[in-house]
Amino acid sequence: MADGSTMVVGASATTPPAPRQGGTMKRLARRRSMAALALCAPLIALIICLKIYPTFYAIFLSMLDRKMNHFVGLDNFAYLLGRPSFHLVIFQSCLFAVTAVVMKAIIGFILAHLMHNIRGSSQRIWRGLLLVPWVIPLSLSTLTWWWLFDPSYSAFNWTLSWLGLPEVPFLGTVWNARISVIMVNTWFGAPFFMIMYLAALKSVPEQLYEAAAIDGASAWQRLIFITLPMMRNIILITVLYSLIVTFADFDIVRILTNGGPQDGTHLFATYAFAVGIQSGNIPRGASVSLFMFPVLATLAFFVLRDVLNRNKEVAT
Amino acid sequence: MSGATAAAGGPVPRKKSKVGSLERQQRISIRSSYAALSIFVVIFLVPPFYMVMTALKSSAEISAQQGNPWIVQSPTMENFIQLATDASFQRYFINSVWVTAMVVIISMAIAILAAFSLSRMGFKGAQVLSTGVFLTYLVPPSLLFIPLFQIVGTLGLINNTWVLVLLFPTLAVPFCTWIMIGYFNSIPKELDEAALIDGATYPQILVKIFIPVALPGIIAATIFAFTVAWGGFLYPLAYLYSADQATLTVGIVRELIKGDVFAWGMIMAACVMAAAPPIIVYTFLMDYYVAGLTAGATKG
Amino acid sequence: MTRNILSKTAATRRKVLKFGAAASALPWVHIRTAGAAGTVSIFFWDHWVPAGNDAIRKQVKAFEDKNKTEVKVDFITSQGQQTTLTINAEAQAKSGHDVITIANWTLRDQEDNLENVDDVVKRLEAQSGPANEVANYLGKGKKGWFAVPSSWGTQNKGPVARISLFKEHAGLDVQKMYPAANVPQTPEAKAWTMDVFLATAEKMHKAGKPFGLGIGTTADNTDMAGSIFASFGAQLIDVDGKIQIQSAAVRQALEYFQKLVKFLPADAQSWDDSSNNRALISGAASFIYNPPSAWAVALRDAPAIAEDIWHFAPPAGPKGRFTPHSMNFWGIWKFAKNKSAAKELIEFLMQPDNVAERSTAVLGYDLPPFAKMSESHVWDKIGPPVGTVYNYPVRPQHHSVAHLAHMPAPPEIAVQVYNRGTLTTMLAKMKAGESIDQVIKWGNIELEGFI
Repeated sequence: MADGSTMVVGASATTPPAPRQGGTMKRLARRRSMAALALCAPLIALIICLKIYPTFYAIFLSMLDRKMNHFVGLDNFAYLLGRPSFHLVIFQSCLFAVTAVVMKAIIGFILAHLMHNIRGSSQRIWRGLLLVPWVIPLSLSTLTWWWLFDPSYSAFNWTLSWLGLPEVPFLGTVWNARISVIMVNTWFGAPFFMIMYLAALKSVPEQLYEAAAIDGASAWQRLIFITLPMMRNIILITVLYSLIVTFADFDIVRILTNGGPQDGTHLFATYAFAVGIQSGNIPRGASVSLFMFPVLATLAFFVLRDVLNRNKEVAT
Repeated sequence: MSGATAAAGGPVPRKKSKVGSLERQQRISIRSSYAALSIFVVIFLVPPFYMVMTALKSSAEISAQQGNPWIVQSPTMENFIQLATDASFQRYFINSVWVTAMVVIISMAIAILAAFSLSRMGFKGAQVLSTGVFLTYLVPPSLLFIPLFQIVGTLGLINNTWVLVLLFPTLAVPFCTWIMIGYFNSIPKELDEAALIDGATYPQILVKIFIPVALPGIIAATIFAFTVAWGGFLYPLAYLYSADQATLTVGIVRELIKGDVFAWGMIMAACVMAAAPPIIVYTFLMDYYVAGLTAGATKG
Repeated sequence: MTRNILSKTAATRRKVLKFGAAASALPWVHIRTAGAAGTVSIFFWDHWVPAGNDAIRKQVKAFEDKNKTEVKVDFITSQGQQTTLTINAEAQAKSGHDVITIANWTLRDQEDNLENVDDVVKRLEAQSGPANEVANYLGKGKKGWFAVPSSWGTQNKGPVARISLFKEHAGLDVQKMYPAANVPQTPEAKAWTMDVFLATAEKMHKAGKPFGLGIGTTADNTDMAGSIFASFGAQLIDVDGKIQIQSAAVRQALEYFQKLVKFLPADAQSWDDSSNNRALISGAASFIYNPPSAWAVALRDAPAIAEDIWHFAPPAGPKGRFTPHSMNFWGIWKFAKNKSAAKELIEFLMQPDNVAERSTAVLGYDLPPFAKMSESHVWDKIGPPVGTVYNYPVRPQHHSVAHLAHMPAPPEIAVQVYNRGTLTTMLAKMKAGESIDQVIKWGNIELEGFI
C-alpha cells in the first residue's frame, strides 16, 4: 500500500484535467474503453485463434474422408457409432469420468474434514504431504504407477504374494485395467478436492457450529444442515470442473494401458489420438474427439449458470 | 463422528459436564483425525516413494528381483549422475525450462493486462469476455489437438518447441486471468479512483498499485502457468517427435522407455529430477498457490 | 556395461534456424562450417540391442567425412508405436526428416508419399543379389521400388527358449533339435509341431514358468499370432480383400488358440513389445517369440539366464511353418529437401561391409534383405551359449517361410487390421472367456469397418 500512496503523492504534481462538458467526457470514456479493449486484445486473439477457430475447424475436418480430399458429411460419425469398439470408448469415458470424480469428491471431502480438525502449523505440513500427488507432473507419476503394476516386476504383486494373497494382473483384464486407471486418476485428483473443500470449510463461520453445538446438534446434523449447504457452491463447481478435466483426460490412459486390453480402457482423447495421429486418419480422429462435445456442452450450461449467478452476487 | 448419536436428541446436559465431554470429544476426534490422515499420507506417497527407491537401484538389482522391491539394497547415485551428464537429458531439461519460462511470461502478461482491463476499465462486452474466458476450459486440449495439428503444421511449427510456447498459454491464461480478476476486484475502488483524480495514468495505477497489492495473486497465477507448461504432455507428444525437441515429460516417457533395456532405475531417476522443480516451488510457495486456487471459489 | 542409452546426436538443426529467436535461446545449435555439401536428416528405428545405435552412428560419421555432407540423426523407438506416429505426423505436416525408417504395412500406407528409389535398389541388387520375397511384396509398387529394403532392425520373431527349463519340464532338448550347424532337418525338429507346442505350453504353465506370449495389440503379439494363424492356413482377409473370418481354417486356428491362451500369463492381454522380453530376462517365462534382443540385454543384466537361451524355428502347423518376419525399409519423403544426398546415404549404409559390421554389433539381430548378404557367417559363433542365434535367420533346413501377419491381404486393409491389433484382440477376448462364435462375430464387425 505504501507504494500506492507515494505514487498518489507524486502524481498530484500534475494538474488533473477538470471535468468539463459532456462531449469531452464521452470522448474520454470512449478512449478509455478503446484502451481497455486494447489491453484485452491478446486474450481475445488467443481465444479466437487457438480455441474458437480450431473448434470449428475440427467440425470441418470431421466431415472429410481419410485422404482429406472429399467431403463425406456425417459418415465418420455414422461409422464410429456402428463400431462395437467405439461403444466401449463411450462407455469407458463416462464410467471413468463419473466414478473417478465421485471418488475424488468423497475422498477429498473426508480429507478436508480430517484436516479441518487439525489446527495450527501441523495442518500445513499434512496438507503439503497430501498435496504431493497433485504436484508431480501427471505423466511422470503415471509412469511410476505403470512400473508398480508391471507384470514381471510388480511391487504390488510382490506385496500380495508376501502376504500370502494371490497375484493380481492389474492391467491384464479389462475390468482390472479400468479400475487401475480410475484409481490412478483418483489418487492424482483427490488432493485438489481436498484443498478446495478445506478452503470452503474454513469460510464457514465458526459461530454457526457453536450455536448448533449449544442446541445439541449431532456431528451428523451439523454436517447435513450447516457444512453441506454452506459448501454447496464450491462442491458444485469443483465437481463440474473436475468432470470436464477427467472426461477429457489423456495422460493416464495413454501411458498406463494405451487403451488396452481389448480397447477396454480407451477414452475419447486416447482413442482420438490412436485413430487421428497414430493411424493418420485425421478426420476420423477429429470426429472421435467431437463426441465429447455434447457432454461438455451440458456441463457448460451448468457452469455458465453458476458463473453468471456468481457474477450477479459479486455485482450486488 | 463417533459418539455423536449419544448426544443427539438427548436433553441438554448441564454446562459444566458438557464442556468437559466436548473437550474429550475433541481430543478423540483430533487423535483419530491424525490416525486417518496418516493412513492417507502413506497411501498417497506410495508412488513417489517407489519412484525414489527405484531411482537408487542399479539395472542389475532391478532385473535380479531378489528380495523386497520396496527397499533399495545397494543404493547407487549412478542413474542420477549418468542423467545429469547426458546430453539428451540436459536438452530435455533446457527445452522444458525454456518453454516454461516463455509460457509463464507470456501468460502472465496477457492475464494481468486483461484482468486489469476487465476489473477496472470496462468496455462493451467486458462482462461477456470475463465469463467466456472461463468457458474456454470446456474445450479441452484433447478436443483440439487434432485440428491444431493441422494448424501448426501449416505454420511450419511441427516438431519445434515454439509450438508449445504458442499453445500452452491457451491452457494457462484463462485461469490466470480469473485469479487476477479476483485479486484486482478485491482492491478497493477508492484507491485507484483517488489516483485517477490525482492525475495518475492507467499504466501507473497498474504498476504502482495493482501489481504490488495483488502480488500474492500474481505468484499464484505464475505457479499455475508454471505447472501447466512444465507438466504438459499431450501437446508435446503430438507435435514434437524428435529427441532434440522433446520436453522432459515426453522425453522421459518416450525416449527413456526402451522395451528391452532395464532402464527403469534411470527412468525413475529422471522422474525424480523432473518432479523436483515443481515440488520445490510448492514447498516454498504452497500457501500462495492454495490461496490463489481457492480465492475465486470461496467467494461463491 | 554402462553404455549411455540416451546419447543422441544433434548435428545441425535446420528447422531451428528458421526461427532466429529459437536459435538464440537454444545455445547448443551447431552449424557446420563451409565445405559441407548440404545436409540430410534421417530417423533410424531406435535399436533394441544396446550397441546398435553406436554402430550406425559410426558409419554415418564415416559417410559425413567422405561426402562432406552433414547428417542429422534421430533415433525413434517403436515402443508406444512412436515410429508409426512420427511417420504419420510427418506425412501430414509434409515436413520432417528426409529419410525415414518405415516398417511392414505402414510402408504400403505411405507409398504415395515416398520418392522412387528404383535406381538405388537396382544397384544394390546387382551387387548383393535379389531382395527377398517380403521385401519385394512390400517395397515394390507399380512404378518400381519406393523404399530401400534395409537390414536395420529387420528381424525374425521366432521361438526363444530357456534350454534348461525345456529339458526339465518338457523333455525337449532345443539345442539338439536345432543345432548350430548346417545339418539337415533333425527328427526332433520335424516333430516340433503345433501340438507339441501346445503340450509344452501346458507343461510350462504347470511348472510355473509359462510361455511369455503376449496378446496385446502391439507388433510382437500380432506377428506371433499371425504366423500361427498362417500355419493353419487361416486368413482374416484374403488376397482379394474379402473377409474370411467365417472360414473353417480361421475357426480351426481359433480353436487352437482357445486352448493355448489358458496357459499364457494372466495379464498377457496387456503385454506390449517389451513385456515378453522382461518376462524372459526376469526368469519368469520359459519361452517367447522374439528376435535376439531379449537375450542381448540378458547378457548384460542377467548373464546366467542369457547363457541358457536358444533361438530356433517355429513349430509346424497343418499348412507348414511360418517364421514371423518384420521388415524395415529406408524411404525418402517426396517433400525431402536433399534427395540426392539421402539416396547416397542409404546406398552407403547398405554396402555389404557396413551391413555385416552392424549385424555383428547387434549380435546378429539385423537380418539383411539381399540374397548374398544372408550367406554371411555373422550368426555362426555368437554366444554365449555359442551358436544361440545360428537358427535365428530362416535356414533352408528349417523348411519355414518368412511371414508378415495378414499377408496376403490388400495392404490398405492389412495396415488397419495390423495397427489396430484386431487379431490379438480376438485372442484376448477368448482369454477373457468369450466363445469362438462371439469372437468371430465381433471380429467380423471390426473387419467390415476396415474395408
